[in-house]
Amino acid sequence: MTFISTGVLRPRFNWQALVTLAVLLVVGFLVLLPLTFLVGESFNTGDALAFPPEEYGIGNYLAIFEEDLHVLTNTVAIAVMATAMAIVIGFTLAWILTRTNVKGRATLERLMELPYYMTPLVGALAWGVLTSPKSGFFNQLYQLLGGKGDLFNIYSMFGIAWIMALFEGTVAFVMIAASMKSMDPALEESARVMGAGKLRTALTVTLPLVMPGVLGATLFVFAEMLGSFAAALVIGIPGRIYVITTAIWDSTLSYPPAYGRAAAMGLALFLVMFGMLSFYRWVVRRGSYATITGKAFRPRPMDMGGLSWLLFGVCALYVFLAVVLPIAALLFTSLQRFATVILSQAQFTFANYQAAFSLGPVRTAMVNSLSLGFGVASVGVIVMALIVWIIYRSQLIGRGYVEYLVMFPQAVPRMVFGLALLWAWLNMPIPIYGTLWLLALAYFTVMLPLGVRTLAGVVLQIDKSLEECARVCGAGWGYQMRTITLPLLKPGILAAWLLIFMACVRELGVSVFLMGPNAKVIAPSIVAAWQSSGTELTAAMALIQTFTVIVALVILYRLTRGMTKELT
Amino acid sequence: MSDSVTRIEVSSLKVRYGDAVAVNGVSFTVGRGEHVTLLGPSGCGKTTTLRTIAGLETPSDGSIRIDGQAMYDAAEGKNVPTEQRGVSMVFQSYAVWPHMTVFDNVAYGLRVRKLSKADIAANVERALDLVQMRHLAERGASKLSGGQQQRVALARAIAFSPTVVLFDEPLSNLDAKLRAEMRVELRELQRRLDITSVYVTHDQEEALAISDRVIVMNVGVIEQIGTPEQIYNKPRSRFVADFVGSANLIKGRLTGPDRFEAEGGVVLRAIAPHTPRGDETEVAVRTAYIDLQPRPGDNHVPGIVRQRMFHGDFVQYIIDCACGKLIVRRPPTNLLDEGAAVRVSFSPEHCVLLEG
Repeated sequence: MTFISTGVLRPRFNWQALVTLAVLLVVGFLVLLPLTFLVGESFNTGDALAFPPEEYGIGNYLAIFEEDLHVLTNTVAIAVMATAMAIVIGFTLAWILTRTNVKGRATLERLMELPYYMTPLVGALAWGVLTSPKSGFFNQLYQLLGGKGDLFNIYSMFGIAWIMALFEGTVAFVMIAASMKSMDPALEESARVMGAGKLRTALTVTLPLVMPGVLGATLFVFAEMLGSFAAALVIGIPGRIYVITTAIWDSTLSYPPAYGRAAAMGLALFLVMFGMLSFYRWVVRRGSYATITGKAFRPRPMDMGGLSWLLFGVCALYVFLAVVLPIAALLFTSLQRFATVILSQAQFTFANYQAAFSLGPVRTAMVNSLSLGFGVASVGVIVMALIVWIIYRSQLIGRGYVEYLVMFPQAVPRMVFGLALLWAWLNMPIPIYGTLWLLALAYFTVMLPLGVRTLAGVVLQIDKSLEECARVCGAGWGYQMRTITLPLLKPGILAAWLLIFMACVRELGVSVFLMGPNAKVIAPSIVAAWQSSGTELTAAMALIQTFTVIVALVILYRLTRGMTKELT
Repeated sequence: MSDSVTRIEVSSLKVRYGDAVAVNGVSFTVGRGEHVTLLGPSGCGKTTTLRTIAGLETPSDGSIRIDGQAMYDAAEGKNVPTEQRGVSMVFQSYAVWPHMTVFDNVAYGLRVRKLSKADIAANVERALDLVQMRHLAERGASKLSGGQQQRVALARAIAFSPTVVLFDEPLSNLDAKLRAEMRVELRELQRRLDITSVYVTHDQEEALAISDRVIVMNVGVIEQIGTPEQIYNKPRSRFVADFVGSANLIKGRLTGPDRFEAEGGVVLRAIAPHTPRGDETEVAVRTAYIDLQPRPGDNHVPGIVRQRMFHGDFVQYIIDCACGKLIVRRPPTNLLDEGAAVRVSFSPEHCVLLEG
């Protein structure tokens, strides 16, 4: 028995090594170069605008302690308050949602993600509308009911911390819930079998086992809070409360811009956060986690009886404060000529949305953000898929370094990276500063960790022999990538695309530094509108941005549900 | 079976992973149209050896030749990429591409070779006919059962008329009944297509059933190469006797050219597949080759049935005798009771002296 066979295999050019080298060079250039520029500038004690610096010294670092000590104390005080609140909220919600039989657990867990997607920027605006002195809705109501003065004042350290905790604290919930879920329920059950009651079990077994997870989350959240920018920008600057991130921002606005000072503060912040996150990793890696395996258990939830309605109320309250109330406040504001809760005085109108869509700068900013989202997500996922393949599938030497390099932007506070990009591209002989091209490059660079992590999850699920089989069948590397690897990655690529798109539309930290007069994007424009135009227009803009993100999010949820089916 | 033309030649192959040596100097040849199986426990280096032939792993030393052409040669610094070796392979996980139809899966190797549309269709149909899957050609591959995926993987591996097909434990994910059926089909297919194949398995029964020759491997080296009958009847080492089939190992010492004195003092007549060195300490007797009635010209030992276990296809007895405990497997007829006195007998041919 024979087959007709006329086809032959021709030797092919080794694209793999070439592509890998190119990717390494480009990523290295994008990730490391800005930071080297930043380090150089932080030691520049001469003319801050001169490049390369004419004088070197550590004056910029010393100045942080001499002139900006109050900034440091503010930063720490706000971060401590925000962390404490975030951990309390996170722990309570995690315990309720993983250990008790509260109603609608699955839905509530999903809802917990929403504040993160709403972004602290939108959250800060909404809470500003609700609780700013005099004009805040709560204060208006209080005065209407005969109260004197203001009930709340968001322009305070506590106000900033409150917003950070509500909108950036979800990570605490995620981390603590994970450690609660990964605990073997048999550990608790054996305590019960030995005769311990519910409370005794909780105190002697559950709590000690979960403590390392809570401590880890505390460290992580604290580091994040130190580098938090949006709430401090929206609430802190009008309230004249500066933290390190807003102080960095402020020094770049002075004339002449104090880039040296900004660079020194940025690097100091980076080093502190990096140190804390390394410490966090070290704590997690230590042996005390022996009971917490990688395996996810579904712990047997405790029957809380009548109390479960109260617990449901606690979860609902969080969703109300972090999602429903802010959106409602913004919606209500955006539909009025002058924002007020006193219905008899309200004048409802669509003028703010008309303005948002017709006003030149606002419209361009939205169009720019959307095109950047589309462009960066589309080109980005292809490049990131290649990178992921190189890291996890190729046999190439040095692929570990590629991984390290790609994940590096995650370790740098977003706005410090923005500053570094600003300084680097101001002095680069390629004239793209102030254009959308630089924003696109910057977005791609800071989205690398997000995209690569998402895609890696999918790549690792794909059986290696699916690719090997293509090679054995005679396909070269390029042909195999085109016909096997990329099609199999498709659902993951779509998910990564949506995540990157959302992240681009919401991006603030980098955009704020790189936006030019002819290259405006939405998030910094919202901040600018908040500071110069009326609350009503700002609210309309913020809602349009949020709506765009939510549409993408809904598609993502639909998609990931289908994806898990397809891949298993 | 014709070893007249050597198709694959592996010499002094070594594979290292960091400090660990997975394959440590393996040499063998596979003749044209021959079906050779690499057999061994997990971690013995059999899959690694197979993957180096495919070019999916890079050896650290030795050479691999296919039809006389060096595919890998440490001395020449030559390493032909997988896709240019012209071999085919069936993977343990089947590796059927879930985003394609059955037809597209099977056509893949033909499309890579830029055959005309008509030739592709003809070859795919023929390959699918061979595995009785033609009726499912347009089905999406993710909607196939395990057995069907196995058939698609097989059709894909033979569709582009490779001269060498490598099999990496292709049946290990099937249930026992399907596995037995596929074995028969695989053997049949091999004969009809006249392909040369190297097969990897840890299932000794499978290895004996479908191979022309078996290569038994352990900890990265070859223990024995031979036909299934040679491996079963004349195991060279304790490892082979123990791993392939079931055997009783009797300790003792060599007292003459074919005389073996067991530890209990019983003198047995044995054969040696190799030239005895004199320091051998063990003989192997297959459990199936022991009779419980005296036969002329055999080794005889009196014993008592200690335990009887009914397995269905056979009955296993544990016999206490002067050579120690012997395991004996007999057909499930004429059952003996526990406690019965028996006379254990086996032919000297089946009492094999193992290399020290």
